[in-house]
Amino acid sequence: MAGFEHCFKAMGGPCRLRFDCADEALAQRALEAVEAEVLRLEHKYSRYRADSLTSQINRAAGTGAAVAIDQETAALLGFAETLWEQSGGMFDLTAGILRRAWDFKSGQLPTQTRIDELLPLIGWQRVQWDQHSIHLPLRGMEIDFGGCVKEYASDSAATLLAGLGIERALVDLAGDMAVVAEGAAARPWTVGIRHPSQPEQAIAWVQLTRGGLASSGDYARCLLVEGRRYGHILNPASGWPVQGLSAVSVLAPQCLVAGGSATIALLKPEAEALQWLGELGLPWLAVDSQLVCHGSLADTSANMSARHSISQEGNTE
Amino acid sequence: MSRRGSDKSSALLALTSSALLLPAYQGARADAPPEFMEAGMRYSKYEEDNTQGKKTFGGSSQRYDIDAAQFHLLAPVADNWAFALDVQWEDMSGASPWFVGESASGEPKVIMSGASIEDTRTEVSVTTRYYYDRGNAGVNYVRSDEDDYDSNALALDGAFNSSDGLTTYGGALSFSADDIEPTQGSVPTNTLKNDKDISSAWIGVSRIISTRSLLRFGLSFTYRDGFLTDPYKLNDNRPDERKEWTISTGYRHFFDAPNAALHADYRYFDDDWGVGSHTLDLAWYQNLGDLTQLIPYARYYSQGQADFFGNLVDLSDRYYSQDYRLSSFGAITVGLRLRQELGNWVVNLSGERYRTDESWGVYNGDESPALVDYWRYSFGLDYIFR
Repeated sequence: MAGFEHCFKAMGGPCRLRFDCADEALAQRALEAVEAEVLRLEHKYSRYRADSLTSQINRAAGTGAAVAIDQETAALLGFAETLWEQSGGMFDLTAGILRRAWDFKSGQLPTQTRIDELLPLIGWQRVQWDQHSIHLPLRGMEIDFGGCVKEYASDSAATLLAGLGIERALVDLAGDMAVVAEGAAARPWTVGIRHPSQPEQAIAWVQLTRGGLASSGDYARCLLVEGRRYGHILNPASGWPVQGLSAVSVLAPQCLVAGGSATIALLKPEAEALQWLGELGLPWLAVDSQLVCHGSLADTSANMSARHSISQEGNTE
Repeated sequence: MSRRGSDKSSALLALTSSALLLPAYQGARADAPPEFMEAGMRYSKYEEDNTQGKKTFGGSSQRYDIDAAQFHLLAPVADNWAFALDVQWEDMSGASPWFVGESASGEPKVIMSGASIEDTRTEVSVTTRYYYDRGNAGVNYVRSDEDDYDSNALALDGAFNSSDGLTTYGGALSFSADDIEPTQGSVPTNTLKNDKDISSAWIGVSRIISTRSLLRFGLSFTYRDGFLTDPYKLNDNRPDERKEWTISTGYRHFFDAPNAALHADYRYFDDDWGVGSHTLDLAWYQNLGDLTQLIPYARYYSQGQADFFGNLVDLSDRYYSQDYRLSSFGAITVGLRLRQELGNWVVNLSGERYRTDESWGVYNGDESPALVDYWRYSFGLDYIFR
């Protein structure tokens, strides 16, 4: 059984695929199939591509013309709606336009006037959609699938590998991971969860035997203005950053559910988020604004160095 | 700390159930041919209990034994095609009920065909199947040869998935032309040479109703035309036409905690000979780890007799039959199947017991003294070329 590794760039980040396979030809097929699937989803949903379905939907905003969607898109919209419901409206597929006001590279806070101009264009409840079509009622309204497509792509790639008969694989799309570990002989994958302030260091090590691991953090992009930190997780109602957790990782049978759960937690005020994660019923790890760890995976960070060697062995072969 | 196990929150249930509607979580995103070639052999033994002495008049009380060997090959041909070959050899021996007579006390007793019948049957079945994005379609040809019976059958079938991938519609048509030429032995036969045609149509729909369950429903119609009388039974004269209808429904449910699936199926059958039947099947697919599956199953069957069935028949009637298979009875089958994967090998073992009794049925009628009980065992070995 040989180990294969393949790195490529997609969905705005580094993607890595690792798997065990005894057959070189099958391995080659698997590499190509996974990359093709990830690129398919990127082309379909990226808002950076003018020919994507997302761009098509956004261009039709306010025109009165509904855009036809397929079953996959309808299900993705349905999932986004569930996130909206479960987060009490804090996760909103239409909130992405706030980035027009917030430029995290500029070092400048947006004006309230600029934010107030954008707020009327936000509101999932205004979106008209069903299983076959979608229409954004106001000109300038936009949707952005960025919050769930990468996680979905990880799961889809893992499903594809399992379907090809590959029994042990790890798909890592810029931190959103899904694994295949089938059969009695398949060993789990050991993966590290990044430290929020020191990205090269792991805060905990997790053994994945099935499903996925997704992480979201407020540490990657932020503004520091007059000693105050403004994170990039924005409240769709006010247009201003949420004062919540710094980082959340969730382990779930699907990377998509893990990612959705981590996103909801990050959108909530700190205490509420910790309670929500505690009641969710999934293994989780959260780092609060004081960089204190919480959650059922937090104790694994204690013996980090011992786990680290296991991980080296598990990951490099 | 997080709560685990069955104590899942409503938030998690909501997230999971809406996520699982995405195509990546629904197994096959499009119908696809098998990934690898598969070959297998199976041996089965079917053993009827001897007819109880008190129910027979002399002759042999030994009933049928069938030994069957099967070979199976399934191969992907191209991206969208698969090919299957099935060959079956059967060796039958024993005696079968010839007619039913009346004892001095007025009891119906079965008279068995005296000498042992020996017959072999060879069946070859070839299927090609085409897979497309939203379904698949197949063509199947079957030829069966016996000393006294030849059959050629052609079947077409297709399945089509709805755009949300949750509903599958299916349909099938089949035609069979059979030639009957009874071997002439110790008992006189009803015909020297004859034939019959069978045409059949089926439509069905199945729907995934949740991430753990599936419901299906089907309707079929079969038309038989030609020599439908049993050539080896003394008092047998049947109409030369038979129209049959069935309605079937089935439910599958997967249970997480025991890691098992329940399969429940029901079928109602009715025809223009007056025969009706109910069949209820229950099976429990218990996974034991990733490689082992243990499947206990049970079937209940109840049949109402044909209008012209009688233990003692009036030969001046237009139609008559003493065949126990057209009588009223109830039957229970209980079986156990084991499926074990060993690398690229799959071993299948099964054993079942079938028992029948007139009083177990829901229909009224006279008990045929020729009702049969049997045992069946099989052993199979498959290999996947991967």
